[in-house]
Amino acid sequence: MTTLFINDVEVTVAPGTSILEACREQEVSVPYFCYHPELSVAANCRMCLVEIEGWNKPAASCCTPVAEGMKVTTQSESLDKDHKMTMEYLLINHPLDCPVCDQGGECKLQDYAVDYGASKGRYSEGKRAVNNYELGPFVTTAMTRCIHCTRCVRFADEIAGTGDIGVLNRGDHMSIAGIVDECLSSELSGNLPDVCPVGALLDGPSHDVSRPWELTRHKSTCTQCPNGCDIEIESRGDEVIRIQPVENSPEPWLCDRGRYVYDAFRSENRILTPCVRQDDGMQDSDWDDAVQRAVEQLSGKRIGMVISPFWSVEGYTAIRLLRDTAFPDAQVAFDLHRRDMRPFAFEEGFVQTTQQIEDADEVVVLGCDLRQRLPLMMQRLRKRLGNDKPVTRIGSMNYRSNADLSSEALIRPRDWSAVIARAMQQVMDLGKSAAGMKEWIAAVEDRHEAGKLLGDALMAGSCSLIVGEEIRCHPDAAALIHGLDLLMRGCGHAEADADGRNLVPEGMNAQVLSAVFGDVRSSAGDIFDAAAKGELDAILLVGSDPIGDGLFPVQARKALDNVPLVQVGAITGQISGGAQVMLPASAYSEIEGTFINMEGRVRVATNPIATIGEQRPLWKVMMRLVQALGHAVPVVNIEELRQQSIGFLPDLGQAWQSDAIDSFMMATPRHAKAAYLPAAVAADDKSLDVVSRYSLYREGMWARASALLSHAGVLHALDDVLVHPDTLQTLGLQQGMLTVVSEQGEQQFNIGTRDDVSPGVLFIAKHSVAGDLSNSVRISLRGGAA
Amino acid sequence: MISADPSKVTAICFDRIHHPNQHKLEVARANGAYKLLPKVLKEFSSEKIIEEVKTAGIRGRGGAGFPTGLKWSFVPRNTGKPIYLMCNADEGEPGTFKDRDIMRFDPHLLIEGMIMAGFALGVRDAYIYIRGEFLHEANVLNAAIEEAYAANLLGEHILGTDFSMNLTVHRGAGAYICGEETALIESVEGKAGRPRFKPPFPAVEGFYRCPTVVNNVETLSTIPAILEFGGAWHASIGVANNTGMKIFSVSGQVNKPGNYEVPLGTSLKTLIEEHCGGLQHGSLPKAVIPGGSSSPWLTAEHYDIPLTFDDLAKAGSMLGSGAIIVMDETADVLAVTRRLAHFYAHESCGQCTPCREGTGWLERVLVRIENGQGLPGDIAVLEDAAQYMAGRTICALADGAAAPVMSLIKHFPEAVRAGIVEKAA
Repeated sequence: MTTLFINDVEVTVAPGTSILEACREQEVSVPYFCYHPELSVAANCRMCLVEIEGWNKPAASCCTPVAEGMKVTTQSESLDKDHKMTMEYLLINHPLDCPVCDQGGECKLQDYAVDYGASKGRYSEGKRAVNNYELGPFVTTAMTRCIHCTRCVRFADEIAGTGDIGVLNRGDHMSIAGIVDECLSSELSGNLPDVCPVGALLDGPSHDVSRPWELTRHKSTCTQCPNGCDIEIESRGDEVIRIQPVENSPEPWLCDRGRYVYDAFRSENRILTPCVRQDDGMQDSDWDDAVQRAVEQLSGKRIGMVISPFWSVEGYTAIRLLRDTAFPDAQVAFDLHRRDMRPFAFEEGFVQTTQQIEDADEVVVLGCDLRQRLPLMMQRLRKRLGNDKPVTRIGSMNYRSNADLSSEALIRPRDWSAVIARAMQQVMDLGKSAAGMKEWIAAVEDRHEAGKLLGDALMAGSCSLIVGEEIRCHPDAAALIHGLDLLMRGCGHAEADADGRNLVPEGMNAQVLSAVFGDVRSSAGDIFDAAAKGELDAILLVGSDPIGDGLFPVQARKALDNVPLVQVGAITGQISGGAQVMLPASAYSEIEGTFINMEGRVRVATNPIATIGEQRPLWKVMMRLVQALGHAVPVVNIEELRQQSIGFLPDLGQAWQSDAIDSFMMATPRHAKAAYLPAAVAADDKSLDVVSRYSLYREGMWARASALLSHAGVLHALDDVLVHPDTLQTLGLQQGMLTVVSEQGEQQFNIGTRDDVSPGVLFIAKHSVAGDLSNSVRISLRGGAA
Repeated sequence: MISADPSKVTAICFDRIHHPNQHKLEVARANGAYKLLPKVLKEFSSEKIIEEVKTAGIRGRGGAGFPTGLKWSFVPRNTGKPIYLMCNADEGEPGTFKDRDIMRFDPHLLIEGMIMAGFALGVRDAYIYIRGEFLHEANVLNAAIEEAYAANLLGEHILGTDFSMNLTVHRGAGAYICGEETALIESVEGKAGRPRFKPPFPAVEGFYRCPTVVNNVETLSTIPAILEFGGAWHASIGVANNTGMKIFSVSGQVNKPGNYEVPLGTSLKTLIEEHCGGLQHGSLPKAVIPGGSSSPWLTAEHYDIPLTFDDLAKAGSMLGSGAIIVMDETADVLAVTRRLAHFYAHESCGQCTPCREGTGWLERVLVRIENGQGLPGDIAVLEDAAQYMAGRTICALADGAAAPVMSLIKHFPEAVRAGIVEKAA
């Protein structure tokens, strides 16, 4: 540790800390523009000057490391003059348009101008004007206001990994610009207005709409992906103006999906009033009537329940209470992707924090398009790579990562068992093994060289495995995950304090869903099949869209042709056409509640925004149904409901009682007995494996209802159906209209090619023309029509 | 021939440049080039070379005057990273034109110096970063390097030893700032030339974050002589702490402008009157810029000053690159300052606030004053704008931009006042 003196106060900090960081730790205020705790140091604004005893000139505190015994002064008459001059330099070319600038009220330049600025400038020449440029759909630019701190450039390079913002020209002709229009391809672009200390980069959707001081801030949790970031929903009245990240939360950034989904809060797709089916359409109704209609559809029936993973802990408890009181035989599905319902050796959820993964010796990503799935996790891996820490990726698609991975391999989903077997062989060659590994290897005929990368990475002191949807949705998932579990145990990455087995879940609350519904869980596909076969009488859908999302749109449609649907939710998707009744429930922005993110971290949403319709919190809707179905209502207030939650989640209860929610991490379930050998893989034929692509702009009802995200989705879209050029060459085909033969019959698609996808795989975009192929495992491809 | 007697040395770097076709390897060798190299590679150790250079007391000839041996000894060895040597041939400082002559007339001297320096530092890849405008010099260097490769003076196993080194000429694109060593490194890395903040210094983290030594052409060209005659020999040329010969590029209002290699410690007056044929008008200079345009000005008061790093620093200026710009009594100092201000405003890389905004501001105010439209308070504006950028930026460009303006106000305030319109009472 290094001891120094800041304004004569003795301070001890870690060696290598900059003076500015040491001052920040001590809450000594030093003005700055270009410094940002999450970005590299640029030291160009020269605002953070301090005096150091024995130095003949002031030093920039952001780039000067502390030294033993250093005596730092942050305030003096001459420093005051320095700050005033820096402000004068900055303001000579800065427009005095604060009254019309969105940044006004939360602008560093404005704040420091109050502290250090002169009331009148001495510069009397003309001011610079700078061209604006296009930065994608979410960022509006006013580049004349730019102070060239290069935070945005460093953000694009270091955090987004896109590097598509740069500095042009020199001297006072210097300007920040994108290389090409609409260039900003990052899913983190919405952070740029936050990063910009002045009003040069502005939030596009809220541009010219409001003033920061008019906004009310609501602490909430984003439920748009498993990461569950803390958010501040900023509203004016009941209108959401923007969503901001929360300072000092685990993630300093927000992805565009979580940030710009808010226009869906007011979209046409919202269920804001109870609706009932009248002839061919849905008609607004009232609660009494709608609940009565729901009871008619459900009472005494055999029902299947399909729920979304985005409700709160309290919501799930209420759903479970409804099931237990009214439909004790009902199966519940909360995952629209999982095919293999055998227990997994390590179930959905992260056992490590994202910080622990960032710090691990090795990280291996298996079958996951992390940039789309978990943009902020990908950002952390990018940060790792920047610090020369390795990241290995194996999967069927290696595009769109915006990072130079240390090693990667392209494989087909059917190769997974051969990859894992090769990894086992590799670790055994290097002297590691686990009981059961030999049997597992013996069940696999082939070896795939990609496994060597996995095996080598596992030999590190600590290794984090991030297992993605390609394995989670695999028809033989339980066996593959057992194989990975053997590998991790054999290499010492499964002990309680060094567990690196992370399975990317479908959505939020993975650990809660396992705890509350684990014993009654079913595959959504199986529920739809049962309904189609007449084994069920009705489907109760709580906030999910199995036609718009997931692997089972075809089965869902068949099911709905056969049985009635009762829908409870905040927003509706493509499935609503089939509903008999729709009951409005409050959205995540509109409730107080508890959420658990993929790491098992508890997020509590408080002060919700005002509701704009007749919707009620989900638990109240559930209790209303319980009552209407003729049962005693088990809970009447949220305290009683939480008592019930504790029954399912005793650990959470303890944390609540001991006021330790902030540090509590919910354990991720493990199934020690979930040992399965992999199924034989059909001999190599000419069939292609189907992989359905995830797009953060299109997945989920909220995102599809958001015009902002939909627009970005169009800008960033790839071809609906994609293959590797070699795939076509092997089959003797040309790019263009081709025929796909699947269990759906023959369909024709325009098929594009990309080099960065695995040969032997057909990639389909969900929600596209080929969405119905989602649940196909193998298809074959042949030439166009006749 | 360089004399082994230090008192009789008349030139080191320019010793052979007058030989016709000295740029050809055959001629250079006949005149003694590479004569010592086999001995150095086979018999000298890295420590011995660095020790000799330290003993020689040579200070960097590019401008900062940092002791070369000390710089070399800062390079961490055995980090597992490659060590790079960069020759700074950007020679952008207005008034400087000495390195150009070494490169175009005697490129093998520089190459030999770089091989020796590279050998001492354990370098595998060395670069010459040459200013973009020096097309002819780059061509000469490239031809010389090609000949050196063919003669096994460069490349693998130089002269049959275990030492291998590549040498590559990298042309700049015309930015003054790329003469600053970290901007130079950025430029060779393929980025825009913008200086890096220090620490880390290039000797520890330079080119691609590997240890890198950046030396001036003249510095590296002195190495063969130091190794041939010994550090002590070099140390006894010039004066204490300012040893060796130095090339001064003299320009401005003298009768015989040009490059003159003289021992450090020679007085300014001697250089101008004995070597450069005196001033064009009058007997005393109005102002002298002693070390390139970035150095504060001297006046007739310092006409006798010995040209050393230390004496010039004591006089409030600096020796810099040894580019002496002489202004006699007919010079328009305001116009000179305005022109220099324009240069710095044009060449500021733009990253630091004070320099980006301040250099342009200075120029605009000076233009106004030159046009007789100065405002009351403009002197204070010039003083503040210059003073508060100097020493407050990542690199020293702002200091260089401030120096002429502060010198003008200090020495010739009446020239500024003449352009200011006082408001009618």
